[in-house]
Amino acid sequence: MPLLPGSMIRHSVLKCLAVLLLLLAGCAQSPLHVSSHSEQWYPINQAQPADSSLTQLLRPYRQGVDTQMDVIIAHTDIPLTKAQPECRLGNFMADAMLLSAQKMDPKVVAAISNYGGIRVPYIAPGPITRGKLYELMPFDNMLTIVEIPGDTLQKFCEVIAHYRGWPVSGIRFVIDGKKAKDILIAGQPLNGGRIYKIAINDYIARGGDNCDFLRKLPTRFSSVFVRDALIHYAEDLEHQGKPLHPPLDNRIRYAE
Amino acid sequence: MGSGLLLAGAFPFDAFAGPNKTRKLTVLHTNDVHSHLEPFGSDSGKYAGEGGVAQRAALIQAIRAQEEHVLLLDAGDIFQGTPYFNLYKGEPDIKAMSAMGYDASTMGNHDFDAGVEGFAKQLPHARFPIIIANYDFTRTALEGKTIPYTVIRKGDIKIGIFGLGIQLKGLVPDDAYGNTQYLEPLRIAQNMADKLRQKEQCDLVICLSHLGYRYDSRKVSDQVLAKETTGIDLIIGGHTHTFLERPTILKNKNGQEVIINQVGWAGLRLGRIDFLFDHKKNASFADAHSVVIGKQTIG
Repeated sequence: MPLLPGSMIRHSVLKCLAVLLLLLAGCAQSPLHVSSHSEQWYPINQAQPADSSLTQLLRPYRQGVDTQMDVIIAHTDIPLTKAQPECRLGNFMADAMLLSAQKMDPKVVAAISNYGGIRVPYIAPGPITRGKLYELMPFDNMLTIVEIPGDTLQKFCEVIAHYRGWPVSGIRFVIDGKKAKDILIAGQPLNGGRIYKIAINDYIARGGDNCDFLRKLPTRFSSVFVRDALIHYAEDLEHQGKPLHPPLDNRIRYAE
Repeated sequence: MGSGLLLAGAFPFDAFAGPNKTRKLTVLHTNDVHSHLEPFGSDSGKYAGEGGVAQRAALIQAIRAQEEHVLLLDAGDIFQGTPYFNLYKGEPDIKAMSAMGYDASTMGNHDFDAGVEGFAKQLPHARFPIIIANYDFTRTALEGKTIPYTVIRKGDIKIGIFGLGIQLKGLVPDDAYGNTQYLEPLRIAQNMADKLRQKEQCDLVICLSHLGYRYDSRKVSDQVLAKETTGIDLIIGGHTHTFLERPTILKNKNGQEVIINQVGWAGLRLGRIDFLFDHKKNASFADAHSVVIGKQTIG
């Protein structure tokens, strides 16, 4: 910084003080106002330059993820998409949950998952890595078996209808407006007086997604992650040399 | 003299560069990044190749090189969504945000996914404040580790920022949020806006909100917040993963404009809002020359 002659410094200090006073007075009397604004957004994609320090910061974490997650565990021969009232991703999840729960308790007749629990919109045909199923079901939710009286199950289906359709397995019904109609459980019409064992995740068992009515029911919380149920289901198909091909079978459909 | 002029931007005195000098503030923002540190993989359909924190960092740097006053903000749900979170519980996410120079973030519901303790555990990696006004963390691991609001100066522009979070009950497992108390957001928002406008004399008030963009029900959302309060200029939203092609502009209780913006999720987009400011009354001040000398003397 260039040094100024002493007299000039004194002069400048005085001027500076005057400026400060003006600044204080000025601010109190006339704050800043937004005179105009403009907006835009930028897409971000891997074709753009990457900041090398961030790439470096991520490297050790990435190596850990790669080692554990970039392992191909299954193949799908069809695009797996997320949609309502039903979709292949949701049907895969519900079918895998049902099969896994039936291994714990053969009396389980159906499975229900919340639509918001499907966390990727799409999986392309081809190999599926362990990491992809972690993305599909990132939460450490536990497979849970709940004993639901038929009339409460009817109410549960109404909630699903209200949400416009959730992943189910072993259940079929029609959404008519916000009503659930023609409900079949394991192929049989819903019996209001019966008690059904249904596989769900612990998030909704604890009342999540407006399922408060499930909280007081007899519940078995397992130590199986829902994600592991999906991984094992996909791995079993792979071992049998079969592709993952969850059907779309109108298990939940909208009334005409 | 030359060095003085170069330094001008670093001091509040550039307010006196001229009576009508316009000041510019660039607000950059993200929301619901959900541990998407890397671009989506090739098997991800329409998002394949999109996103990525290293690419975002380079873009932010390029904007910082062009603009003097940049604010970088996030509206919560930093955590959960890729194996990075399952393995590392948010550590690389918070480190990356610190490296990119985030000025502030609020908390989303998924930021409780490793419990209050899990979020608190990552805060030593944060070189930015967590701003949330309507969660009371008394008797939790986050007690004293968040702030309700902050005031940031960029040049002589004074920006007030406060944060609002969504109701946790029914959305987050009870044991994850523990003793955290959710407080009704509208009343808190008005208190914050009043405080930032009147007591702190802020020129711009920003709310980082994880309430969600809009609901069919009467549930409080960013749109409700904008219409039912006064004093908020900008709501940076999140939670509903809403891709707004352009911000929504609504009128507040006093008929003044409120900007709401949200950029989807997963770090697919970076939002940008530029504000130009001036003094409403064009008071005349000291000339630019004396300001430069004054600054050199102080410097």
